[in-house]
Amino acid sequence: MKQADQLPRGALAWIIVAQALLLVPHVPHIPLWVVAVYLCAFAWRVQAFRGRMELPGRWVKVVMAVAVAGGVVLSYGSLLGLEPMVAYLLTSFALKLTEMNTRKDAYVVVFLGYFVCLVGFLFTQDLLLVVYSLILVWVLTAALISVHRRSASLRDMRHLKLSATMLMQAFPLMLVLFFLFPRIPPLWVVPLKSHSAKTGMSDRLQPGDVSRLSQSDEVAFRASFEGEIPPKNELYWRGLVMSALDESGWRTLRYYEVPASERVKPRVDTIGPRIDYSVILNPTQQNWLFSLRHAQSKKPGIMNLADHRLYSAVIVESKLLYDVSSWPEAILDPTLSEWRREIETQLDPVSNPRTRALARSLWQDSVIGQTDLLRGELGTRAFVNTVLSYFRENAFFYTLQPPRLADSDSMDDFLFNSRRGFCEHYAYAFAVMMRSVGVPTRVVGGYLGGEINPVNRTVIVHQFDAHAWNEVWIEGEGWVRVDPTAAVSPDRILYGLEQAVAAEGSFLSDTPLSPLRFRGVDWVNSLRLRYDALTYRWQSWVVGFDGRGQESFLRDVLGGVSVRKSITVLLGTGVLTMAMVSAFLLWRRKPPLRTGFAAELYRFQQMLYRRGLAQVAGESSAQMTVRAQAHWPKHAAELSALHRQLERMTYAPAAEPVDSNKVKRTLRARLRRLQLVL
Amino acid sequence: MSFQPYVGVDRRHEERWRLGNVLRERTRRFLDKRIPRARSVTLDQRRVFIFPSATGFFFMLCLLIMLIASINYQNNMGYGLTFLLANIFVIAVVHSYANLAGLTLTAVAAEDAFAQQHAAFRIRATADSGRGHYSIKIGWAIAKEEKGRRRLGVGLFSSPSMRECQELDLDPGETEEREFHLQVGERGWYRPGRVHVESVYPLGLLRCWTWVDLDLCALVYPQPKAAPVQQTAGSAGEDGLQVAGHGDDEFAGVRDYRPGDSPKRVYWRGVAKGQEMQSKEFAAVMSDTRWLDWDSFAGLNDEARLSALCHEVLSYHKRELSFGLRLPGKEISPASGDRQRRLVLRTLATYGKTSEEQASEADAVSDGLVRQPV
Repeated sequence: MKQADQLPRGALAWIIVAQALLLVPHVPHIPLWVVAVYLCAFAWRVQAFRGRMELPGRWVKVVMAVAVAGGVVLSYGSLLGLEPMVAYLLTSFALKLTEMNTRKDAYVVVFLGYFVCLVGFLFTQDLLLVVYSLILVWVLTAALISVHRRSASLRDMRHLKLSATMLMQAFPLMLVLFFLFPRIPPLWVVPLKSHSAKTGMSDRLQPGDVSRLSQSDEVAFRASFEGEIPPKNELYWRGLVMSALDESGWRTLRYYEVPASERVKPRVDTIGPRIDYSVILNPTQQNWLFSLRHAQSKKPGIMNLADHRLYSAVIVESKLLYDVSSWPEAILDPTLSEWRREIETQLDPVSNPRTRALARSLWQDSVIGQTDLLRGELGTRAFVNTVLSYFRENAFFYTLQPPRLADSDSMDDFLFNSRRGFCEHYAYAFAVMMRSVGVPTRVVGGYLGGEINPVNRTVIVHQFDAHAWNEVWIEGEGWVRVDPTAAVSPDRILYGLEQAVAAEGSFLSDTPLSPLRFRGVDWVNSLRLRYDALTYRWQSWVVGFDGRGQESFLRDVLGGVSVRKSITVLLGTGVLTMAMVSAFLLWRRKPPLRTGFAAELYRFQQMLYRRGLAQVAGESSAQMTVRAQAHWPKHAAELSALHRQLERMTYAPAAEPVDSNKVKRTLRARLRRLQLVL
Repeated sequence: MSFQPYVGVDRRHEERWRLGNVLRERTRRFLDKRIPRARSVTLDQRRVFIFPSATGFFFMLCLLIMLIASINYQNNMGYGLTFLLANIFVIAVVHSYANLAGLTLTAVAAEDAFAQQHAAFRIRATADSGRGHYSIKIGWAIAKEEKGRRRLGVGLFSSPSMRECQELDLDPGETEEREFHLQVGERGWYRPGRVHVESVYPLGLLRCWTWVDLDLCALVYPQPKAAPVQQTAGSAGEDGLQVAGHGDDEFAGVRDYRPGDSPKRVYWRGVAKGQEMQSKEFAAVMSDTRWLDWDSFAGLNDEARLSALCHEVLSYHKRELSFGLRLPGKEISPASGDRQRRLVLRTLATYGKTSEEQASEADAVSDGLVRQPV
């Protein structure tokens, strides 16, 4: 290795700092042992730098590389997929540190560092991460500069300054490129984030699922309405329609369970008022999307399923923005096909015997005495009301901490023993009771309500807004929403979960530090809402800037999209930037007019002039001081003392060396004090 | 001007029309026009070349990968980061250029040397008053032929191998002087060729370089080689006429001490007796005054004769003898001391060299560029 290629000491320190900073945003989605590998690599390199240890030999390096690959496979089950690749990238990045000796190695590490920054964005593009990544790029670039400064000391901050200057100079042209670069579709299929946990509502609903989800204060999605925000108790965000009931609970119909003729969404007449809104869904690793009924979206890649819900063709791996129009009064399925009627009334004839018996007896009560005429739709309605009043009038409790139910005949256990449940318990029991008497009923999963941010009028829907309710098919009205929870806890529907379980004190009891628990504290809450508004803006902007967003943006700004215009703007900005940077760098700065203590004396004079002393041409500073003493007799002593010292320092430099900066500082402090009193 | 951008090889016998040679010839002519020979050169946009370094190309590859990742994952912030880095690369062009621009290089001195030995060249680098210059490599490119292989593109895509490469950092307004020791070739005037100045500061992605011709020129003496002297008729007189005051051989008396007289010659016995300081005088026989004569090495070829004469000069000078030189058409009268040694050696070095290089000898001497001989 040539001496010239050796990595300067300062550069090593900078690279270690940059690497440590790079690791931080990845900690949540990598196994902990990767962090340990990092720490060991840092320690090893530092010890080697201090001469206490040898850097690893070739065989040790090979063994380490194989070992970390094995570790990644052990942790994830494979090397394919985004997360294992990131984990492997990060460990090799750490190991590279132990063989970093030359400038070439440093280049590789810094470029890899830039790449790790980019990988971070694949997980989230949050504003905080973007700001943090800018700092990372700043430090990495400083590290890259330090590689070329042999003589600089470890604490030289000039790299940081130069790096910041370059970043700022690069910024305008970056923006132009960002807006002009055509957003082309993916070139090939990329590894998916198969290892992230799926979040939010799942397509299976067992008693206890929603109440567990309600412990989380994470944001599920944010919605922004074009017009008025509908009242909170109308915000039933449908996501899942669960028509099948098996031993483990309710679930959605599998694709293969639906015959081809039933897969097509039946036509819906869009009647009544229309609500337009857009939703930014946080990644769920699932396909279903949330919307008010009856929803249609024009966004490509979003389907409308036969049970009238929106479904994304691809798994939602990153934030997804979609525009929706909803017609709450539209009739869903005015007629029910034979197949669907059968599916929606299917019930295991053995389990929950007491529940079914109860349902039948209630059915008798509500229908007996009615004429045949009323047996149809009115009969169903009457029965729904009977069941709801059953919940209301008996001692049922709405609780976030429901007791565990028996494995078999769980609804019997719930209705006749515990009588304490969360929304999914009531929806489950209600659907079983309706189906017992042959009324087509299903369970719908999603979210209810949300928090309205007054700052930007968006609705923030958290995981704790998760909810389950029912849809009952009524002749002539189609699928009608029925929420049995409303019968038990009207507060939940009207005011949200926090109010509904206020007495219990169980709201977010697992996350004592959640900012949502401090909504009572005004400034915390307003800060939280402000930040959320900013986040929403950022997300709708960043996530929404796709091909279509780009086109409309360019039409607004440039008045049309054309290659010629784009190139003109790009070249124009490029030339302008380069010209400005060149001017900034190469313009010869004039040397200062006064240097040393002459500048301080000049400062003194100017201060007196500013304070009202008349300017007299051609007088010496001594003469001026005499006039100043006459002008401010109270401060005559200080004026002359200050002047004497300034004069002495300017014209008769001390024989012994003095710390002129220190003297200047004290002189300036005296000048400031004088300035205040004059 | 017979300038060679890459040094030290006589290319006269090579095929003239090979692509590499044609290109090199073109480069040479281009450079001679662009950056003419000058004792002191301040770098500016006409004189500085810039091109991505190997690291720069690697960085571009990284950027391409990042762009593809952004496209495939449809990641807007990925696009943003990629474009930011790409623009840092673009901005770095100006920064790289600014790092070299304003730097002044001045030839300070070139020392004489014997053939095949090392001559010292001193170069002074002065920074711009407002800007620093960092990671500046100064050296001489090694001609590709010397490494036994030819590659096109060296000098554009990668930095050439350098000899005597030194790296220096200059803060604004600073001045630094460096000495470079280069092996010289045959007898005569040695030009090390264009100085290669290069820097990859600040990011290492771009290589900014120039070749400046600082008009550095060292005089190369013949290689000293002993050879038997053949006495010839005209070479020395037989009468033994003594000439006082010049020789070292026989004691001839004492005279008043003059400042500058060697302490060896002071008549210390007299001083001890309390007399005035006096110097002893020796008389050299005329026949013993050494004449270095071209004809004394009749059997040898020209270069060998010069080498032999050179050897004689060194040995006489060491013995503090007085000597003169007779070359065909040139004669230097006998004397002793450093001045004489230098004069004689320079005469030997330039013997038979009638090219225009001798013309620059005159101004080299008058400018004080050429310092004391080795």
